[in-house]
Amino acid sequence: MILTGPKIQAEVAAGRIQISPIQARLLNPNSYNYRLGTELLTMPGTIDTRRQPVAKRIEIPETGYVLQPGRLYLGHTYERIGSTHFVPSLIGRSSLGRLGLFLQITADLGHLGTYHKWTLEMTVVQPLRIYPKMRIGQVSFWEPQGVPALAVASYAGLPGNYAQFSNSTPSLVGKFFE
Amino acid sequence: MILTGPRIQAEVEQGNITLHPFDPKLVNPNSYDFRLGSTLKIYKHRELDVRRPNATETITIPESGYTLRPDTLYLGHTIETMGSDKFVPVIRGKSSTGRVGLFVHITADLIDLGWHGQSTLMLHAVQPVTVYPGMRIGQVTFWSVLGDPKLYDGKYQGSRGPMASQAHRDFQS
Repeated sequence: MILTGPKIQAEVAAGRIQISPIQARLLNPNSYNYRLGTELLTMPGTIDTRRQPVAKRIEIPETGYVLQPGRLYLGHTYERIGSTHFVPSLIGRSSLGRLGLFLQITADLGHLGTYHKWTLEMTVVQPLRIYPKMRIGQVSFWEPQGVPALAVASYAGLPGNYAQFSNSTPSLVGKFFE
Repeated sequence: MILTGPRIQAEVEQGNITLHPFDPKLVNPNSYDFRLGSTLKIYKHRELDVRRPNATETITIPESGYTLRPDTLYLGHTIETMGSDKFVPVIRGKSSTGRVGLFVHITADLIDLGWHGQSTLMLHAVQPVTVYPGMRIGQVTFWSVLGDPKLYDGKYQGSRGPMASQAHRDFQS
């Protein structure tokens, strides 16, 4: 089952969902609008999944930054988001999808037990100017069934692969080959 | 939990789910197929800006079809008016649509409880793809909720035809 907005708010108050900072006006009927952080990473050229990508860091100015088609940008949520009780799913807002901005590239599902600024995988169909701290996507929470195995336990044999990271974190897919 | 096809049909009959016009032939085991309406919108300028209204122009898809290009975003719409005050709709393409490389939404598959209207489709083709009016293009699923409802009362309520982004209004509040 998916949590309604009032239920998300109640679970935040009960400490079973964490969203920080939180603003009541960003609550939707069945999700919460998260905001874009202030920096992006790009990885020019060919990305080798066996190697740690070389990433270039971009600070998004207040006047905005134009994303170009054919490139991948990693951003991050302004908020720290997580839950030990409900499974988060992070997607874009329809207002941004209507401008051709993909947020998350088929990896919308979060792990139970992680709490951090989420890395956003962004790409556009047409050039698009975006701004720091804008409302960019939404996170929903889903009730799981079964005994929880929290993300800190193990992920690809690594303790909490991305769980401890803040800000935009490049792919660690290379570690799967080690 | 996701509703089965028979349950979707039962909830439509009881008025808890809006799917209009409703055709039992479009009911799947756990979703309902929606069809592509004949109107598309594209943005007039190539570079878009989240903070400004972006002007659009309208295209009517002829019976002979219209070819979508990879470098352009097209806003389409469902023929069906859909929504629910009780179950959360989630839309996606049909696998037949995915197999021709056509996205029907751009990471915005989740519909708010209480929103009712013709859903705006965000059409993006990986390779050129020709689409036709009235074709079955995607499917809508319905999910039960946990918690008290709060119904949608936002800027896209009751939309008819493709509706361009209203993101610029976020910067006014």
